[in-house]
Amino acid sequence: MTLGIGGAGSRLAVKLDPGATIVNVSQIELEKTPAEHRILAMVHAARGQLQGSRKDPAIGRAAFASVKDELLALCRNSLLFASTGGGTGSGMTAALLEELATRDDIPPTEKAVFALLLPHAERESAEYVNNTLDFLRGPLSLAIDTGNTGNIFLFSNRLKFESRLPEDEYNTMLVDSLQVFLAIPEKCAQLDLLDGHIDPEDFSLFMSRPYFNHFTYFEFDPAKPFGEQLRSNLNPLLLLPDNPIEALFLLEVPADADPAPFYDLIDFFVDQEVTPSYTVVRNSQRGKYFVTVSLLYSRKPAELVEDFSRISEKRARAKVRKSLEQHVTLPRLEVNLERETKRVGKEKGATEEDVLAVLQRIGKL
Amino acid sequence: MDGLFQEQIDHLAERHFLVLYWVAHAEDRRIRYNLTNCFDDLKLAGITRTKQTALATVEALTALRFIEIREQGNRKNLYITQHGAEALKLLVLRGAFSPRKSAFLEAQL
Repeated sequence: MTLGIGGAGSRLAVKLDPGATIVNVSQIELEKTPAEHRILAMVHAARGQLQGSRKDPAIGRAAFASVKDELLALCRNSLLFASTGGGTGSGMTAALLEELATRDDIPPTEKAVFALLLPHAERESAEYVNNTLDFLRGPLSLAIDTGNTGNIFLFSNRLKFESRLPEDEYNTMLVDSLQVFLAIPEKCAQLDLLDGHIDPEDFSLFMSRPYFNHFTYFEFDPAKPFGEQLRSNLNPLLLLPDNPIEALFLLEVPADADPAPFYDLIDFFVDQEVTPSYTVVRNSQRGKYFVTVSLLYSRKPAELVEDFSRISEKRARAKVRKSLEQHVTLPRLEVNLERETKRVGKEKGATEEDVLAVLQRIGKL
Repeated sequence: MDGLFQEQIDHLAERHFLVLYWVAHAEDRRIRYNLTNCFDDLKLAGITRTKQTALATVEALTALRFIEIREQGNRKNLYITQHGAEALKLLVLRGAFSPRKSAFLEAQL
């Protein structure tokens, strides 16, 4: 089951799975995304049904109440897409994570995997960055503490802005990348097994672990150290990982090539005190070794928040400086209070001469 | 006596200045200006919200012989005295306070 919450989350969910269910507070937004199942979340607003949540997560949170039971049932063992910057995705997902945090012992088979799209703080609006900060500080932190979610993928919009890609193209890139990782159990089932084994249940168990998941894939050169190659091939669509707690890899070995280099990968992880789950398969379609690797790490939300705060504050400072430079010139003012009083009096139609003239006219001076 | 007069002037507040100013203007325009008009104007100027303060201001100026109260009909109308005119002149020359418009006098235009 794939779920998409909010505009950005829905577009990603449908791209990955045309049978996805999407949720939005706006009927118009819902109809724009060609999903098989659509859920309209209701917000009680004075002016009727809203046409969006105006980047306000409070609206998404309010709307969550109308679809709470449905969403809680749907998110079991599902992959849920949402952006953390906007109103609907951020607000509803925050409320969902908080609700999940109150549950006791969600079984691994029922945990929801979250694919969250974070804004690129240097290029996107301050509201998106602030909403993301609130999301990371609050509900995401809570979810990690309780361990009631599955893997959390932290996708970033950084590459989109740096490569100047249209949203649809970027979404395709992101979904294609995720599909490489999600295809691991299928490849294990279809290709000739050389060593290790990851069956769908193993993969599902790995996905149910409540950690951040950084996956990547690249052509592996056995002549070079694996660690160096991994560092230079980290997935640019995801936030950078921290030291892994758990790891999983699939090594595809070309026809007639020696499978033994997979021991280099195991050695690399053992050096990091991680025993990986792995599979080595023969893929005659490949001309070179190809590795798909996933690192589960527990980069604390506080550290993520720090990264974001730093950029956010830098942006705020730059914004203030820019507006000062653009709009404010501060000339040297020399104020003579006596002259200023007379000027104000004159503006109000009463100079000292006027008052004295009045007093003389009425014969009191 | 000059010293006492100076000291009396030194202790006048903005509300005393405004009442002197409005009273002089009213007389100049031959408009009767009474205690109620004075209270309304002080209230609109944001100086006070109570009639007691307006009354206290007028009573202080009366005691100093800067204004006099004349009962005309059932109204107590206010008029500036020569001492009051001297006081107002000094305050104006010092630039101690800025004049403000009287809503009552403006309405009579």
